[in-house]
Amino acid sequence: MSTASGPIYEVGDLVIDLYAGNVSVRAVDGVSFAIHPGETVAIVGESGSGKTVMTLGPLGLLPEGVTVDIRGRAQSGGQDLLTLGPRRLSELRGRSFGVVFQDPISALNPMKRVGPQLAAQARRLTGATGREARQAALDLLKRTGIPDPDDRYFRYPHEMSGGMLQRVMIALALAGKPKVLIADEPTTALDATVQAQILELIRQLQREDGIAVLLITHDIGVVSRVADRVIVLYAGRIAEEGPAFEVLTAPIHPYTIGLLDSVPDLRKSIGEPRQGIPGVPPDQSMLVPGCRFAERCPKVEPRCRTHRPPLDQVRGRAVVQRVACPPQLRALREMADA
Amino acid sequence: MSILVLKRAAIAALLVIAASVLTFALVAAAPGNVAALIAERMAGPNASAELIARIAADLGLNDPLPVRYLRWLGDAVRGDFGISLRSGKPLSVEFAERVPVTALLLFGGGLIAFALSLGLGIAGAISNGGPVDNVLRTISLVGASTPNFFVAAVLVITFAVTLNWLPSFGGSGPLSWILPWATSSVLPASILSRVVRVNLQDAMSRPYATTGFAKGLTRSGVILQEALPTIAVPFLTTFGAQFALMMVASMVVETVFALRGIGAFFIEVIRFRDFISMQAILLLFVVFFVVTNLVVDIVCMLIDPRIRKAAGA
Amino acid sequence: MTELLKSLRTWPWHIVAPVLLFVAVAVLAPWLTPYDPAAQDYMSILQGPSWAHWLGTDYLGRDLLSRIIGGARVSLTAMSIVLLAALILGVVVGSLAGYIGGRFEVVMISAIDIFLALPSLVIALALIGIMGPGYWSMIVALTLAWWANYARMSRAVVVAELRQPYIEAARIMGANHLHIFSRHILPSVLALVVVYASADAGALVLAIATLSFLGLGVEPPTPEWGQMLVDGMGYLEDNPALVILPGLALTLVVVSFNLLGEAFALSKVPRPARGLTLSRRRRDRAKEEAARAQVEARP
Repeated sequence: MSTASGPIYEVGDLVIDLYAGNVSVRAVDGVSFAIHPGETVAIVGESGSGKTVMTLGPLGLLPEGVTVDIRGRAQSGGQDLLTLGPRRLSELRGRSFGVVFQDPISALNPMKRVGPQLAAQARRLTGATGREARQAALDLLKRTGIPDPDDRYFRYPHEMSGGMLQRVMIALALAGKPKVLIADEPTTALDATVQAQILELIRQLQREDGIAVLLITHDIGVVSRVADRVIVLYAGRIAEEGPAFEVLTAPIHPYTIGLLDSVPDLRKSIGEPRQGIPGVPPDQSMLVPGCRFAERCPKVEPRCRTHRPPLDQVRGRAVVQRVACPPQLRALREMADA
Repeated sequence: MSILVLKRAAIAALLVIAASVLTFALVAAAPGNVAALIAERMAGPNASAELIARIAADLGLNDPLPVRYLRWLGDAVRGDFGISLRSGKPLSVEFAERVPVTALLLFGGGLIAFALSLGLGIAGAISNGGPVDNVLRTISLVGASTPNFFVAAVLVITFAVTLNWLPSFGGSGPLSWILPWATSSVLPASILSRVVRVNLQDAMSRPYATTGFAKGLTRSGVILQEALPTIAVPFLTTFGAQFALMMVASMVVETVFALRGIGAFFIEVIRFRDFISMQAILLLFVVFFVVTNLVVDIVCMLIDPRIRKAAGA
Repeated sequence: MTELLKSLRTWPWHIVAPVLLFVAVAVLAPWLTPYDPAAQDYMSILQGPSWAHWLGTDYLGRDLLSRIIGGARVSLTAMSIVLLAALILGVVVGSLAGYIGGRFEVVMISAIDIFLALPSLVIALALIGIMGPGYWSMIVALTLAWWANYARMSRAVVVAELRQPYIEAARIMGANHLHIFSRHILPSVLALVVVYASADAGALVLAIATLSFLGLGVEPPTPEWGQMLVDGMGYLEDNPALVILPGLALTLVVVSFNLLGEAFALSKVPRPARGLTLSRRRRDRAKEEAARAQVEARP
């Protein structure tokens, strides 16, 4: 978790517009964040909050059928991903960035045996030759905890379980020895018991290789288990950002508070009604001034509807925690002053 | 897997039998007495009743239908299809001369269609909405809508009449095959290139294509390495259907280019109302269609690991 | 009425217009043709374009323009008859099979499957071979070659509809079979089959022309494009227009029908925004952004 070496990947003022059919969506609306080697950053938000678009967009990994406009900066290793041509960008994928997707059953090519696919990847990315590549593939299968790699080597995806496939997916992402591993809801499609194993595997591999992990999830339980830092995303903007412990135990932004309140907590008695967030996420096809959460916010003030809340540092805390909610920050200051 | 293959083969055999019954019934139910028609061919319009009766007896036309059907099928299986009223030669001799011609036409045209459609479809997918894609889409739409006899006419006008590069009739050396092959490949190539293009587009919107990009492949790399293998089954299925339809097109192509194949013969015997030949050719067609289908099914089974698994289960 | 006008505005006119043009030419053919398409004139054989004969004449001195216009009418008429007959036959057989069920359905499905296992043109040719060539035998043969697909679709729709709860409700309320069928099931059957059939029109025009080209369909002197083309093949060196013009007319008509069919098929597929749409949307977005910035810049 050393932050001395500087960020391995840094995004600044990222704006992403999507156009498809007769819909235009501002999926990401001015987002900045950084991730350091060895760190696990969780990006949390509801579906449609832009967490996937924000992380996969700069890498050119959004599905075809959508026109993508990206502005801002996305820097890694002294290069800005947004200014690279498609070929240069493709060279970074796999080598600098490994990606694990949500549903391994559909994310792995049904016509390809897992082992040879890994070996091909090792050949392409590390320059290994025939026998070496095969050995590298077997090592990867072993490292990702797949029992009996020699047997699994020639299996097709449909012959393996979801948990095993997600391990293959991770092996595939690690084949190029990337510096950043992006995991997009890596456990959502899996059984509860398998989820924990996959998370533990990611953690363990991270410790071994010192890679940075960018974990996209909507599952607060996953966040509390593995994340060092959390970015809470709402309607394409960062609502709150900070160390996992602080954000999860002392949230400041009304949205984060609502999000955590809606998580089922076994410690609370069953009869106690859970607080959800009233209303629905805003329509992101229109650009309107002000805070995107204003319509659903219990702490809303008139200024919230006309001015975009800046992402400000919380004063009086030992850690870096930033919140995009002036009313809440003001209330905190007043409490501290009193 | 072999169980599934056997099952498919059994269904195919049933289909052949059903279609052969239908073919036989159709011709047997044809208006006008076959014997009278034959007699007319032999002796002119004033054929004697005696002659008609003798022909009917010779052909066994007085037997009950099931007996006639079984005899016809039994003979056909042994390679005896009767004697053509059109040419007066045994149909087995006609077939021996004509099947190779049609086979050469079909395999040549099929090969061109196969290669061309893959190449054009992939080029369209790589261009993806660019000028190449739009031009190819227009070409394939026009190609799929142009009657093959008009394609043949345009090719003859251009390459035979105007430029005088190629002969306008088939059966006179290797060069004479170019225009028939080109003609018969236009329609299947147009339709197949659409199928390749559309299925590649669909595959490119699948998660595994995104994984391909994430692995570090370029767009062409993803198309060739990730998307292309997954379209094998729809491509081969359509190819099989189109290959079967090329047999239909061969009737026109062989007629236009004066090739002495089965297709042109079928049209001749229809015009001549030669029922004996018609029955035999229809049976041949049915077997060809069913076998083509069966081969495609089996190849798809061998190619797609998912079907293979379902077959093994 | 206003609903209809509103839906007219959203129609893809560039796709519908060529088909309408073809239909208009076919319907108005008797008033559009400068000459009787079958009238021979031995004084003007195989002429090139002139003021008297805009597109020239054929080997019997017949006016090519009149024959091409007349051919549109013949083509459209034959296609419409076959399509309508095949549609009725297919819908009736398929619906009955689905509605009655049981052994009748099994027999009908087998019949449909056998017809579908063979290419339509082979079936049509076999039937023509038995009936003998001619206009009406072509019509009957094509109808019998084309009905099976509609029957299969109709049966599928009927079977699916019969599972709907409202059918059961109608039955409980005492509606008789005919009422249930005509009021509840037939509309959904037709909705699907008619759209599908309209996409088939191009293939049918092609089949009619092919049969006529082979001398097994429309017979001379009735003008038909496929048959005009085969007639012209003997005079390629004198006047290639005799082959090229009917071929072009045929191709254009089939292309426009196929475009229509494709438009039906693609109407539900979302596509990425491109070209003008995209630049317009980008402009809109930039304006919105400027307006938002202006509001947020106020103190």
